[in-house]
Amino acid sequence: MIVFQHMAAALYLAAGVGAILGLVLPAPKVLHGARWGLALGALAQGAAFGTLHRLEAAPALTDLGQAIGIMGWLGVLFTLALLSRFRLSGFVPPLAFVGFLSAFGATLSSSNVSSRPLAPSADVFGSIPHAHVLLASAGIAALGIAALAGFFFLLEHRSLKTRRRVSGWLSLPLPSLETLDRVNRLTLILGFPLLTLGVLTGSLWLYSSSGLLFSGSLHEAWTIIAWMIYMGLVALRFGRHQGARQAAASAVAGFSFLVFAVVGVGLVT
Amino acid sequence: MKILLLGMNHRTAPVEVRERFAVAESGPLLRKLIDRPEIEEAVLLSTCNRVEVVVMTNNLDAAQHALMEFFSRELAEGALPAGKALSQLTYLRHGREAIEHVFRVASAIDSMVVGEPQILGQVKDAYRDATEVGACGAVLSRLYQRAFATAKRVKNETGIAERPVSVARVAVDLAKQIFESLEEKSALLIGAGEMIEAALVALDDHGLGHRRIANRTAAHAEELARRFGGSAHGLDELDDLLLETDVVLSCVGGDQVVLTRERVEAALASRQRGRSRPLFLIDIGVPRNIDPAVHELDSAYLYDLDDLQGVAVANVEERRRESERAQRIVIEEREHFDGWLVALQAVPTIRDLRQRAEGIRQAEVERYAGRIGLDANQREALEKLTRGIVNKVMHAPISRLRDETDREMGLARLEEVRHLFALDDMTADAAEVDVETDSLRATAKRGVTKSGSDSDSDGDHAGDLETSS
Repeated sequence: MIVFQHMAAALYLAAGVGAILGLVLPAPKVLHGARWGLALGALAQGAAFGTLHRLEAAPALTDLGQAIGIMGWLGVLFTLALLSRFRLSGFVPPLAFVGFLSAFGATLSSSNVSSRPLAPSADVFGSIPHAHVLLASAGIAALGIAALAGFFFLLEHRSLKTRRRVSGWLSLPLPSLETLDRVNRLTLILGFPLLTLGVLTGSLWLYSSSGLLFSGSLHEAWTIIAWMIYMGLVALRFGRHQGARQAAASAVAGFSFLVFAVVGVGLVT
Repeated sequence: MKILLLGMNHRTAPVEVRERFAVAESGPLLRKLIDRPEIEEAVLLSTCNRVEVVVMTNNLDAAQHALMEFFSRELAEGALPAGKALSQLTYLRHGREAIEHVFRVASAIDSMVVGEPQILGQVKDAYRDATEVGACGAVLSRLYQRAFATAKRVKNETGIAERPVSVARVAVDLAKQIFESLEEKSALLIGAGEMIEAALVALDDHGLGHRRIANRTAAHAEELARRFGGSAHGLDELDDLLLETDVVLSCVGGDQVVLTRERVEAALASRQRGRSRPLFLIDIGVPRNIDPAVHELDSAYLYDLDDLQGVAVANVEERRRESERAQRIVIEEREHFDGWLVALQAVPTIRDLRQRAEGIRQAEVERYAGRIGLDANQREALEKLTRGIVNKVMHAPISRLRDETDREMGLARLEEVRHLFALDDMTADAAEVDVETDSLRATAKRGVTKSGSDSDSDGDHAGDLETSS
């Protein structure tokens, strides 16, 4: 499994560097190669997760490193799906680096399996905790892409409003505002229900272990707040009350809060 | 073997002068040029911004004179502008400067609009025309092939041609920053004057979807709609039209603002249905037709003529910056070509050097064989022995001459070798040798004839190109 994770990390890194070179030079063939690198990286990482349950000392998906690995992997998969429909070359470098960090993080996590409690191999994909991790990770990954689209939208919008091109590394060719807005909308439609299911399965997991639906931990409290914020954003977005720029800014702010709620609170406490 | 270039361009001569020198058909003129003994090969480039003749010559001074004469007699037909000497209107380059200039022109670094794409096609046409009339030989063919390769490198490795520099292209580029595809978008053109007509022609090129033309005088709008396709409307329908429009282009006379902030804001509010629908407005009217405050609205992006020109000027500046990178590529390629040219010029020197050594060997063998009275076997042994000595002695200098011709000092070294071994004075060498056969003298004379008076010259060596390089 670790070999696959290493392969995935190397492929993602190569794809990220290739995509930056392809965009900066510009070299369409290198950019095309970077897309393939991203796809092969996702394949290798998928193979790593596929072999997870075969390990005698398999790390649980609920382990933070593995969960982040899954989150990154799903983010790359969503991006690959979007790339087939939209011109989103600018998405390849950040997603490739997210993929690299997630694969690399999962590698570290996997190499320390003996020091943590082990999950029974039969339960790896079948248990509520793992359903919670998979659904929440998918939701966070989709909302992460929405935030990335929002961030790029704000950059492009600013460049058009100031009538100046953005300089430096941010001057990489970006997709059109319309495309970014559509991606934001699509990923919000996909991400919010997945996040909701993730929150529900999390509550079920808690209920099955302690008989409570809400234990009052900081992680749960902040996650519920993040979910409510997203519910508000969805209502605003689809209730005709929000323009594209506000939606983009909301996606960035919402995701920042979500990351803090899911990862940051855990790290702080 | 020298490359010489004479030309005039937008920097050296105004358009009314350039147009006098412009050439419609280069074939007959090129034939006249290469019929002259001092010109071996020639290429003539004539565009609206430049007229240039590039030649390969063995006699630089004579070729320079011939080109000046060609410009004044054949191109200007003897009618030079009053008070201006031809030398004031033209530039002359030779050797490395000429090579660099050709590369710069093909790469659009020397163009009025840096990075413009047309020039490469024009240079290719000029090269093709020269090839068709047999005016382009091995050297200029190689020069132009390298020029095309350089242009390709410059295009691929720099951003020299990336950013648009015309107002129309800037507008299209901005539209592409906003919309995913222009084909499904609809345009509203306010006005029916010449600018709107020109815009309609440009829209045809970029495939913008449906067009609506709104004008005070409906008849004018109908006329344009009939000619270019689309529908005609009055200005009183603007509010409704804005609901279904993605791109607004306005150029209408009069002092009053046609689209106010309130009007556009109301339209934007009505057309947002969960999904944001941006509006791109281009105001090329003077005075402006659209309230500048429209740009403050979130989903509206308003650019007037000054804004578009500002972007174009910024892009020109960006292209200039990129042209510095392009210049480095040009110099790199020039060095490669120059190395090839120097190596090409080493061929006659190496041949003359071998010939000289072989001449001495044969003469010495003849002298001693005659004195001692050798039989056939002994004679053969002596031939082998002396040939071996000559080959071994000559091996190192010839190898180094070949290797070192790629360096900057290659040409100077060739001159030194020719001087040291008296390769340009083979008949004098023959006099130094006591006994020399008639055939050897003939060989030596042939060597002088081929070398010519100019040490670099030899038009017949073109066939040796690939072996020497």
